[in-house]
Amino acid sequence: MKIEKGIPVSPAIHRRGLLLGALGLAAAPLLAACADDEPAAAPGASGAAGPKQLRIGYQLIPNGDLIVKDQGWLEAALPGTKVVWSKFDSGGDVNTAIIAGAIDIGLAGSSPVARGLAAPLNIPYAVPWIFDVIGDNEALVVKPGIDSVAALAGKKVATPFASTSHYSLLAALAAAGVPESGLKIIDLEPPEIQAAWQRGDIDGAYVWTPVLAELRKQGKVLVTSRDLAGQGKLTADLAVVRKDFLAQYPAAVKTWLRQQDRAVKLTRSDKAAAAASIGKQLNLSPDEAAAQLAELVLLDLSEQAGADYLGKPGAPGKLAENLHSAAEFLTAQKKLTGAPDLAVYQSALAVQALADAA
Amino acid sequence: MHDPLPFRDRLRAAGLRFAAVAGAVAVWWAVARAQIWPPVFVPSPGSVWHQFLATSGLTGDGDGWAGYTLGEHLLASLRRMAIGCAYGVGGGIVLGLLIGLVPVLDTVLGPVVTFVRTLPPLAYLSLLVIWFGIDESPKVWLLLLAALPPVAVATADAVRAVPADYVYAARSLGAGRAQIPWRIVLPAAAPEILTGIRVAVGVAYTTVVAAETVNGVPGIGGMIRDAQRYNQTDVVVLGIILIGLSGLFFDALLRYAQRRLTPWRGRA
Repeated sequence: MKIEKGIPVSPAIHRRGLLLGALGLAAAPLLAACADDEPAAAPGASGAAGPKQLRIGYQLIPNGDLIVKDQGWLEAALPGTKVVWSKFDSGGDVNTAIIAGAIDIGLAGSSPVARGLAAPLNIPYAVPWIFDVIGDNEALVVKPGIDSVAALAGKKVATPFASTSHYSLLAALAAAGVPESGLKIIDLEPPEIQAAWQRGDIDGAYVWTPVLAELRKQGKVLVTSRDLAGQGKLTADLAVVRKDFLAQYPAAVKTWLRQQDRAVKLTRSDKAAAAASIGKQLNLSPDEAAAQLAELVLLDLSEQAGADYLGKPGAPGKLAENLHSAAEFLTAQKKLTGAPDLAVYQSALAVQALADAA
Repeated sequence: MHDPLPFRDRLRAAGLRFAAVAGAVAVWWAVARAQIWPPVFVPSPGSVWHQFLATSGLTGDGDGWAGYTLGEHLLASLRRMAIGCAYGVGGGIVLGLLIGLVPVLDTVLGPVVTFVRTLPPLAYLSLLVIWFGIDESPKVWLLLLAALPPVAVATADAVRAVPADYVYAARSLGAGRAQIPWRIVLPAAAPEILTGIRVAVGVAYTTVVAAETVNGVPGIGGMIRDAQRYNQTDVVVLGIILIGLSGLFFDALLRYAQRRLTPWRGRA
């Protein structure tokens, strides 16, 4: 799902997100100044001292995080800790909040995380969990009559810039040998993509649900992010945790990981209950929520420890390579001055925490 | 041209301004240097300057930001501003004249103008996108809607305030009905209308970033938005400084025009 922007709720909310982002920038020094009130140790939580509060930045994406939130599992598992949930619209804002020390654990797409771990941000955070691997919920849809990616030459294609979709679009073009200069790629948010599509202003779009679902009705899907993941261009929604927090409260992170694992297992054992929880959080009917959930690839704890994903201590998984190649892509786009070494991304995978939770 | 201040005073004012700017930059530099906050929050003047050189094509590969140089971004924004303001000012003067001269229209259109004036542009931008697409027209429309009400209100007020004696004098000297608005009312109202135009250009300036949130590249607003998404604060600051400076420049230009076009202002 979106790397940069949250599920498109409505254009107005997105505008507001932008404004809030700008305000956030202005308020950031203040936030940083207030960040001294680190969650101090509270006695009584699972024997060892747990954090007084756990501040979580979540996004409206139909994955396990919303199940954990809806069911109140974290609150139940961390009785001495106050769990604070804040909604974010984009991974960029989550990065800013982590720098400011305003949240402890957040959700960001692979693109913002690749950026956050690189200079000049160099955010001291680690990736302990993959919320979801983007599958059929992001895809390249084109007007009827365009039969291949190569046929897009000279056409107008829209995508929200800085998103996983943007990354995937350029990866698909590169795979088909279409140079970026060979077509017009324009930056639009999902609601505007839908408007532009209906007006006939664009020939195609790489975008996520629910706008994708609307476009699919009249268009043709050329490539999905599931296809691209198969070709090594994986995009995902990742958890990030402040390194300080992870070092200070490993037990709390372990509990957090176990709740996430429990949510993923629920999506397999009781699809209806999982869909109902997600539907409640997204204001969707359980059927719609189930359909959206099915388009994502969720991984349980043992799958996350596999070599293709986070990996094991001493053997960091392939996700590091995905992040590294996303950073190289951003460097080519001049959004980064240079991609850090692969080792930077390997050491940012919190494989020890994952192994401890198993 | 009458010069309100002797040369020495003007020199002093210029020196004072320069010192204030230099002081502000020095404080900025010191704060950035002290690293109290990460550079993402407070980029240093040096990195903003570096971005200025890189995006304007003076250094580096000349590709600028997002495929356009700083000059191209600025020109695109100014072009939109010029077209939007031209329509807005033209429409505002005509509307203001009508409202000021025809009481029926005042009753009908007055509240409409106030209604439009109080709307935040972001509230109706998505409608403009649905109606006018994603290219230039929604942006020009947004700027037009921002620039029109201040001019219309200023014109209407100024027209109402034109002393009736002027009209009587003109009529008794043989002016026809059709000549009154253009020869008497408009010139008499000109100083306030020009002030309205200055306000309108200012309002349009504050709207340009909003106008460029949809497919805004090239454009300074589009550049700021794009940079903000990548946490490239130095480019954001650069864009803000550029908007502010060009705004100062155009305001000075309009003030000069005001002095040239209505030299009697404040001395009647």
